[in-house]
Amino acid sequence: MLRFVQSTVASALLVATAAVPAVAQDDAGTQKKDSYRFVIIPKVVHPWFDKVNDGAQMAAAAIEAQSGSSVQIDYSAPQSADVVQQNQILESSIATRPDGIAIDLLDPAGNRASLEDAQYQEIPLTLFDSVPPEGMDIPYIGSDFCEQAKIASRRLVELLDGEGQVAIMMGVPSAPNHSIRAECHREVFAEHDGIEVVAEGIDNDDIQTAQKQAAAIMQANPELDGWVASDAAGPVGIGQAIVEAGKEGEVQLVGLDNLNEMLDLIRDGVADSSSASQPELQGYWSVMLLWQQATGAPVPTYIDTGNAFITQDNVDG
Amino acid sequence: MSDMQETAQRAKHNPLLAWAKNPVMGVLAVLIAIFAISAILSPYFLTAYNMSVVARGLAFVALVTIGQASLMILGELDLSLGTIGGLSGIIAGMLMVNAGLDPWLSMALALCMGATLGLVNGLLVTSLGLHSLVLTIGTAGIYGGAILVLTRGVAITDIPREMQFLGRGTLFGFPMPFVVMLVVLAFAVFLTMKTPFGRYMYAIGNNRDAARMLGIKVDTIRVLVFVMAGTLSALAGLLLVARLGTAQPSIGDTWVLGPIAAAVIGGVATTGGVGSILGAIFGAAIIGIIENIIVLFGVSPYWQGIVSGAIVVIAISFDAISRRWLRREG
Repeated sequence: MLRFVQSTVASALLVATAAVPAVAQDDAGTQKKDSYRFVIIPKVVHPWFDKVNDGAQMAAAAIEAQSGSSVQIDYSAPQSADVVQQNQILESSIATRPDGIAIDLLDPAGNRASLEDAQYQEIPLTLFDSVPPEGMDIPYIGSDFCEQAKIASRRLVELLDGEGQVAIMMGVPSAPNHSIRAECHREVFAEHDGIEVVAEGIDNDDIQTAQKQAAAIMQANPELDGWVASDAAGPVGIGQAIVEAGKEGEVQLVGLDNLNEMLDLIRDGVADSSSASQPELQGYWSVMLLWQQATGAPVPTYIDTGNAFITQDNVDG
Repeated sequence: MSDMQETAQRAKHNPLLAWAKNPVMGVLAVLIAIFAISAILSPYFLTAYNMSVVARGLAFVALVTIGQASLMILGELDLSLGTIGGLSGIIAGMLMVNAGLDPWLSMALALCMGATLGLVNGLLVTSLGLHSLVLTIGTAGIYGGAILVLTRGVAITDIPREMQFLGRGTLFGFPMPFVVMLVVLAFAVFLTMKTPFGRYMYAIGNNRDAARMLGIKVDTIRVLVFVMAGTLSALAGLLLVARLGTAQPSIGDTWVLGPIAAAVIGGVATTGGVGSILGAIFGAAIIGIIENIIVLFGVSPYWQGIVSGAIVVIAISFDAISRRWLRREG
């Protein structure tokens, strides 16, 4: 009987060992798998997030080259900036049991239940370009949104010599990074008595909406002197509206981020400059943090990828 | 004996054929086929967690689909159902968070508001003789605008925990929104299939003037169905608020074309008098499963529209071809 029990236990141990052949149970940070699959979920289908995906692919290639493990990146984007759609994608992704999920939250409170599902199922998470819901312990990556906005609004104040009417494009008002940037624009303008914020628009991070909003606001405020935006699509739409209204040089634009259209606006002199976060770095470090978590390594709570200031002098440099 | 009479005679002798010729069964067959293919191709599809994801996702849109399909059976369309759901969710959130009202009372008031907005649509359509499609484009703008005025685009957070059970909790392992949807579905199927009210709906959808000549209170029934659709949209909005824990201004944005597409896939004609609530829900389930498997299979977001559209076209083509084949065989 004892021999039977011993052989059964030995068999069970063998089976258990065989079931996890690729994972070595070593110290924290040294666990290794033959393959990893990470999911990247942006806010919406958008060129800015394509750059995030480019960075994620670069990180995957780097990990493959350095570790020999294969790394697959599944990029899954909502068709519209809708938290319900984003949660559906997040939950469906959780069901595939990936090695990690990096997500740019549309609304931390609205995403909370789905994020809790992922944590409950012990799937490593990383946030990029957004902050975690209150009380949730999730590593996050981004630039200082407020500083990014302040760089742009200070530049606009400088261009206007501290006097004039300005407008703010708010992006998706419920998206934390957009609302933080809008608030920081307001703070900078409030510091200057000669600057008056005459209008604020909502473009929902959509170029066409931004163009329509900007055109309407410029019609309603013919004395408008300058624009800042809180999202990547906003300044592109504003630039188009300025060109259509024939107000290049008359209405100043300091943009945000580095979409190709934004860079063209700077080259063409429609926009003075842009305060840009670095999406490729955010994608790169998102995957790196997920990989580190998957190996059992401790990871930092926050990584700041910094901001770049793009002008005609360095736009092609 | 005509072809149709002959077919009916043969179907009477062959219950399997009669079953197969039921239009709902065609949609059900497509649903089962998509379900089976998904289960075979993805090891994650049939997991308990994924099934709960699919069921919960289906519940919200299905509630709106029940309302929209009921209107379509009457020959009406309401494009404001999404914004009614969104506005009801926002009102509930404001009542329970900003005004500090009891969550259940807030929910009841928001449901009443959904019913009232449906009533407004119904009364305007019937009393002014307006086309429901055109009218509700306008009211959708008004209700959607009201959401932006009330919220300025910012979500209402801190929805009380006791309400969140409705969106996040489970009953016998099933997500609560799905359980609520099943109860509503059972009621709606009973109403449309087993009551005079349901028969009147089909009669009105087939020929409104003839129904009126038969003594059916056509306008009263039309208004009541608008009220029902408004109430169900409000219920969907409230359940989604309970799920998210916030009242989002974007709630209902995807409930405009989705429910209409689901009903049409499920065999409900936009011209009225044809189709069933059950078929519409099967249509919604087909769309829900396609949305799910697209993520499970890791389809690129740029290909998702093409892939999901192609699956729907193949599915309804399969349904149409099989029905034609059955008619010929019958």
